[in-house]
Amino acid sequence: MNGWKRNLPGKAVYYFMFVLIVVIVFVPIALVVFGAFKTRTELFETAPFSLPGSFLNMSNFKLAYEQGDMLRGLWNTTVIVTLTLMGNAILGTMTAYILNRFQFRMKKAVYALFLMAMIIPAYTTEIARFQIIHSIGMYDSLSAPISIYIGTDIMQIYIYMQFLEKISNQLDESAMLDGASYGRIFRSIIFPLLLPATATLAILKSVTVMNDVYVPFLYMPSNELVTLSTALMKFVGARGSDLSALCAGIVLVLIPSTAVYVVFQRYIFKGLMDGAVKG
Amino acid sequence: MSYKIQQRWVIFSFLFVPVSLLLLFLVYPTLQLFHYSFTNWDGYSSSKSYIGLDNYKQVLFEMPDAWKSIGNNGLYFVIHTLFIPLELMVAVLLNRSIRGSSLFRFTILMPYVVNGVAVAYMFSYIYYPINGPLNSLLTSVGLESWIHGWLSDLKLVNFSLVAVSLWRYCGVHVILFLAGLQSIPQDLYEAAAIDGAGFWRKQLYITLPGIRRVVEIILFMNVTGALLQFDIPFVMTGGGPGVSSSTFGLFSLFTAFKFNNFGLASAMAVVLLCLIIVFSSIQNWIIKDRSGN
Repeated sequence: MNGWKRNLPGKAVYYFMFVLIVVIVFVPIALVVFGAFKTRTELFETAPFSLPGSFLNMSNFKLAYEQGDMLRGLWNTTVIVTLTLMGNAILGTMTAYILNRFQFRMKKAVYALFLMAMIIPAYTTEIARFQIIHSIGMYDSLSAPISIYIGTDIMQIYIYMQFLEKISNQLDESAMLDGASYGRIFRSIIFPLLLPATATLAILKSVTVMNDVYVPFLYMPSNELVTLSTALMKFVGARGSDLSALCAGIVLVLIPSTAVYVVFQRYIFKGLMDGAVKG
Repeated sequence: MSYKIQQRWVIFSFLFVPVSLLLLFLVYPTLQLFHYSFTNWDGYSSSKSYIGLDNYKQVLFEMPDAWKSIGNNGLYFVIHTLFIPLELMVAVLLNRSIRGSSLFRFTILMPYVVNGVAVAYMFSYIYYPINGPLNSLLTSVGLESWIHGWLSDLKLVNFSLVAVSLWRYCGVHVILFLAGLQSIPQDLYEAAAIDGAGFWRKQLYITLPGIRRVVEIILFMNVTGALLQFDIPFVMTGGGPGVSSSTFGLFSLFTAFKFNNFGLASAMAVVLLCLIIVFSSIQNWIIKDRSGN
């Protein structure tokens, strides 16, 4: 393997591929950024690959920000993501704690239930789920996506259980000798020890929830309940022909997820990789 | 409270909420889906009558549009599958720590992490027919004859959309392959080198078995991803022109919510569910570890 480092053609292939992938990934994004700074006539008169006349032209962003209701979208998205992550972390660690530490009669059935949830792909049952959300009065409220994300996306339970296997039972037992209740053991030992796993899972999950369009589109038609994704869709629906405004809207929606990525990339890679190798 | 009683209490109280949510939002809807699929329900009226297997008959034999849509899902599946070996090669190259590889890693996962709706609109702009970036690139390199309405040409539209899907999802496969590669202990390669194994033999006897689990995950993601493909056609073409770029998921959603045929749409969803399970099982059977360990 080390010999490979001296291998020039190999290195050339590596760097060629590197440049190619950077171009494929960043050129489309750059084009949209250029478009967002151009005026409407400028966009039609100049080549798409040319730089905008001025990177200070904020009029498109202003338009997209105001008419696209992006701030509201960002707020709703943040609320949904935060509550989903909290619910997921609390319920996920609780479930994993019970399934890992206790023996009880229905354990196999509960286990099978969670396994079934893993197998049924998202969206396929949406037509029937829609009726349920409707009949319990959750339709067109933030509680619909939040409870769907918390209730049905349960991949994290398996990761938590793998972590728990490495946390020795002796910790629980010595706490029990000191008279701690199970609730107390969970609160003071299990949950804190699972926090690193929670952090990794939370970042990965926030990306999925933030980028979902299906659930918010289906369950939250009101203008007050737009997320970043649906706000962009509504904005484009209203002003689809104005390309420079479209570009600005795209850039505005790309910013939050890109920021999360830049800040938390280590956790995202770790989450994906742990899930793939251990999961 | 004795630990025995406390134990019962803690098991019940900790599992109550997650299990009820799962029953309410997953198990019950799945059962209901099968139930609706035998009715002619329109989604809102209080009455529905049982029509046996009529919905399934209709999906299977009388709906060319549904088959057209599932054919489009097939196109996503085939093209993505063809890219898997390439993704593995990129991961093998990326696995060596050369200068710039963390930037490389960052770049390659970027499309997967950023907002999908924004990505779809980004490519709508790239494909824009008049003075759009792709067509003006073709003009500037003298390939005017290649200019097309990328999203309006019936023959091209699906390929245009699959390209967006490739842009978005290839990177995450590379990263997963990379995870598999990094989980293989280096001393295996060193031992093999001492035994005189060359590059390709090492890949065949160490790398491939070592990443089997990741391959399973990627193939599963590939099947479900292709069969559930929704965002990209939904945002970029709405399934059009006509139904030419529709996917099965999109088509069943339209059947339910636009044409108010919940019974038929439920039957389609059941078919989709079965397809996913069948295809994943076939793939798992194909790559099953037959060496006996």
